[in-house]
Amino acid sequence: MLRVQNLTKVYPNGTQALKNVSFEVKDGEFLVVIGLSGSGKSTLLRCINRLIDPTEGKIYWDDQDVTAASPAELLRIRRNIGMVFQQFNLVKRSSVMTNVLSGRLGYANPWLSLLGIWSPADRERALKALGRVGIADKANSRADALSGGQQQRVGIARALMQEPRIVLADEPVASLDPVLSHSILQYLEQLNKEGITVLCSLHFLDLVHRYATRVIALKDGLLVFEGLPDEINRAKFKEIYGEEAQEVRAASFEAPV
Amino acid sequence: MTAASQTRRNPILTALLSTLVPGLGQGIVKRWYRGVAILLATLVVAGMVIWYGKPVWYFAPVGMWLWNIWDAFSLAGGRARTILIPVAFGLAAAYGIGWQVVGVNFAAADMNRALAVARPMAHPDMFEVKTETNETWTPIKIPCPATSSSPSSVREDNGRVATVSPSCGAPMDTLKISVSGMWPNTNTQIWWRTAISDPLLLGGTNGDKMLVLKTDSSGSLTTSIHVPISVLIAQPDKTLSLEHQVRFTQSRPTGGIAISYNGGFVLKGMLETIAMALMATVLAIFVAVPISFLAARNLMGGNPITFGIYVVVRTLLNILRSVEALLFAIVFVVITGLGPFAGVLALMVHSIAALAKLYSEVIEGIDPGPIEAIKATGANWVQVARYGVIPQIIPPFTSFTIYRWDINVRTATVIGMVGGGGIGFYLIQWIQLNDFRAVSAAFIAIAIVVIILDFLSAKVRERLV
Repeated sequence: MLRVQNLTKVYPNGTQALKNVSFEVKDGEFLVVIGLSGSGKSTLLRCINRLIDPTEGKIYWDDQDVTAASPAELLRIRRNIGMVFQQFNLVKRSSVMTNVLSGRLGYANPWLSLLGIWSPADRERALKALGRVGIADKANSRADALSGGQQQRVGIARALMQEPRIVLADEPVASLDPVLSHSILQYLEQLNKEGITVLCSLHFLDLVHRYATRVIALKDGLLVFEGLPDEINRAKFKEIYGEEAQEVRAASFEAPV
Repeated sequence: MTAASQTRRNPILTALLSTLVPGLGQGIVKRWYRGVAILLATLVVAGMVIWYGKPVWYFAPVGMWLWNIWDAFSLAGGRARTILIPVAFGLAAAYGIGWQVVGVNFAAADMNRALAVARPMAHPDMFEVKTETNETWTPIKIPCPATSSSPSSVREDNGRVATVSPSCGAPMDTLKISVSGMWPNTNTQIWWRTAISDPLLLGGTNGDKMLVLKTDSSGSLTTSIHVPISVLIAQPDKTLSLEHQVRFTQSRPTGGIAISYNGGFVLKGMLETIAMALMATVLAIFVAVPISFLAARNLMGGNPITFGIYVVVRTLLNILRSVEALLFAIVFVVITGLGPFAGVLALMVHSIAALAKLYSEVIEGIDPGPIEAIKATGANWVQVARYGVIPQIIPPFTSFTIYRWDINVRTATVIGMVGGGGIGFYLIQWIQLNDFRAVSAAFIAIAIVVIILDFLSAKVRERLV
């Protein structure tokens, strides 16, 4: 269980990205974070594994205080939290295999990993992870030789290498077309059904309705909604996205059966 | 300034102001940029013409001045005149004066002198046909010794017999010479070697050509020569009788091609040049890599102290880079003496500046995304550097380094000319000796090496990036 209490983040330039945000993520949930660009979604996700240090507030991961963790403890916490990014964040010039293996760095022998030596078990695990996302044949390609959808699948395989109990997904499909969006989210849904908690930020409400088990919404760094996907009606939508907003509902976003 | 913000004035007054001071009228109607530009341009062109001192060029500033009056007059009525006219005047003056200053004179390209260079260059002195030589000689005393000597000097060696009679003489004496046992029907060079081993020619009317005669079918020849007039010049005591030699030299091709004497120096110089460039590049890497981190804005921009270091390092690099390696070579030759090491140091200094700038731009261009992703896996900072940073910078670093080596080879050929070693060192000597066949060989060698390196470095870099 992940508990976020009174989380506040102020950037050095004075921007208040998060204002006193509190919520809980129960084990096995597919919790989606929605909100406009700049509403603090990315900052929130990055505070959870402390890629960004929060200014105030607490984060508890199974009753362990993440915000107070020592550097060594933090590395141990991070390796149980998988992360998937909007821009995939692969090392473009490295092979797919190396990118996937790098997800195992938190477990690997530090010295051997610096030499690029990986145990056969880790290699086996990497091939299996690639197999799960359906691109085992691309293991030796350069990462930037892959299409966007394939790169995001490498990103998921990398997260799988961490044997995560929770996956943070920062707009994982914002750079992909609608068809690929569904295929990527279905992989996350599959992981979720296997017991991995998913905390995912999304832009499109169709996708939220289709995949989320619960939704929170951020507006200008404030938590403005917490509830079930069905509770987001037209009024709520206007409240979260502003009076001017028009919902984009492309036919292609209709969930496949 | 937009036309809307300008003020209308009396056209005559405005034109009058611009007549007194170019641009003033334009300024009065609030077109200040235009006015200042006109004033500066007119002053610069006028200054140029006055400095050059040829009255014919005064048309340019005068033309600009007249246009400026017309422009001021029109502007007062709210209408600007095209600036193409003063620009054309300025360009005409700049180009015309420039043409005369550099002394463009196509007539100076003398065809005969060009041919004197071009002909030998068409026969580069790189390879030669392998030959074997057959040489013998006989001694002769100059001047005659006090005690009497034998009537003829005969010397036998391996079946070849060379004879000169009499066996001593003074300058311009006539001598009868003969040789036998040489290769038959072969051109034979007959020449004089003085007591101090200087070669002297025996042919022509004044001994200004090599004397060449063909042996008969039995390998013999006979002729008469004059003792060269300059034979005693290098002999301090003109009465002391010393032994000189009359020499007979035959040569014939044996088939096969060998690298010529100068060709050997071309190869040696080329090798030296490539090695100089390689040494300089490798040495520069070690200095440039740490400096590049100091010159990367994304790393150093964080606080005022590091940003100060960044600005200083960047400025120094820019200064170093703006000085040609050739000029550094001139300085280093004074410090270390002539030779390749001076060239290496010069190339190194320039390469450090160039590489550090390129490297720092690579560092500035690093994608923070993968670094964030690797951090998120629980990797420690060394692992983050190894898996998130190094893979991003090594290929472009390598690519830029190879490119630099390629540039350094080209620069190293020139650096030799100021004493920095390498092929340029030989090249400048051959140019000064008018040995254009060797110059041609060096040019070809440089071209081949540069083209090959260019091609290889392009191929390697293609694979890296």
